[in-house]
Amino acid sequence: MVLMEYSELEILIVRIREISGFDFSGYARPSLLRRASRYLTTHKMNFHELLAYIEPGGNVVYGLIQELTVNYSEMFRDADFFMKVKTEVFTYLESYPTLRFWVAGCASGEEAYSLAIFLKEAGFLGRSLIYATDLSNKALTAAREGIFTLGNVRTFSENYLAAGGQHSLSDYYHVAYNKAAMLPELRSNIVFSMHDLTGDGVFNEFQFISCRNVMIYFTLELRQKVFRLLYDSLSMLGFLCLGKRETLRYSGLEENFKVVDSTLNIYQKIR
Amino acid sequence: MSMAKDNGALSLVLIGGSSGSFAIFEEIIRLVRNPLSFALIFVLHRGKSSTAVLPEIFKNKTNVAMSEPYHLDPIKANSIYFAYPDYHLLIGPDQRFYYDRTDKDFFSRPSIDATFLSAAVSGIPVKAAMLFSGSSADGAFGMKALAERGFPTYVQNPADAESPRMPEQALLAYEKHQVMVDGNLFSIINDILQ
Repeated sequence: MVLMEYSELEILIVRIREISGFDFSGYARPSLLRRASRYLTTHKMNFHELLAYIEPGGNVVYGLIQELTVNYSEMFRDADFFMKVKTEVFTYLESYPTLRFWVAGCASGEEAYSLAIFLKEAGFLGRSLIYATDLSNKALTAAREGIFTLGNVRTFSENYLAAGGQHSLSDYYHVAYNKAAMLPELRSNIVFSMHDLTGDGVFNEFQFISCRNVMIYFTLELRQKVFRLLYDSLSMLGFLCLGKRETLRYSGLEENFKVVDSTLNIYQKIR
Repeated sequence: MSMAKDNGALSLVLIGGSSGSFAIFEEIIRLVRNPLSFALIFVLHRGKSSTAVLPEIFKNKTNVAMSEPYHLDPIKANSIYFAYPDYHLLIGPDQRFYYDRTDKDFFSRPSIDATFLSAAVSGIPVKAAMLFSGSSADGAFGMKALAERGFPTYVQNPADAESPRMPEQALLAYEKHQVMVDGNLFSIINDILQ
């Protein structure tokens, strides 16, 4: 196991920016250090070898950036959260003629497909549009394909049932070549597109934004900026969903939201 | 008598374990008395669907404040913290907690290594780190990193552990951890906690 020091991490951040233009300065250091240390460990190199390895001219630095930013998700991750969205949030949104949802930091699309399935079961997928955005083109390509391994799908199915799904998750995918491909009709109401939460601005107004376990990778300062973007992207009385260990504390916007569920971190914009 | 200081420098006591450690954790919490001059941080392996709220389970055992912290909460002396299921709990150099949902270590999230390694480089003094019973090698790297930086490290005697693998692996990775045998386990712990 190779453990990087914070002083080395700062040097690495500068080198990556010089070589690729990608700026990690707004990323939370403890998590970034963990990822960079794991990269050194799996590639069996020390810090100085890494610096030499990413020198300009190769694609190595992009592989490194990919590994330092990639996120994994599951469909219906945190079943209790999806249950609450279905029982409390959807009931509230039911009367809207059209609905826009934003899954910010969607990774390979698991949460967007989960939302689409529950919207379909609630009967208003047809008048809903789900924007699912991520920084990584690679993740978005996977998300558009909507293909998951059967091993993962087993977990997704358990989550789906625990969240109160009405059918069987297998009603929503085809199995081919030992993979599960989500039905195209689910995808027809999802727009997958590239968006950088740390640099890009407001692009639409939403009744529902889910940004779960994304901002934990940003520094306190950057997190406040992203909170502002999410706030500005929400319509009045729109819902904001965060990960289970995240809170609105330290966001500077606590006063503008009402707590819908303090355990599951669902908030509603009230001013 | 030592008094916990609000304005004093923060220090940490780290405790890790897996299968066979729960009863020991419970006993440790029973030994803890307000005020504590340090923050006491427990990392216990738990499944992602674990709904047990440890501060609730232990609330009658001690008068020290307990919590499963939130992301960015400041780490405070005279507090007991528990790692939350399905996240790694990291110690930041700014004396705040950070959550991380990257890969599991040794099939575990939370992992003991994640917390202990982050503490080792945080710049916050570690008063003691302890590792108990468990059936994986998690914790060995973290314990080694802490010991190499001069922090006191204690390992349960593998022969006394319900699952010996975890303390065994820690001693394999670094042989100079202090070994706590059954006869004096809780008196050693009690001394550390004072």
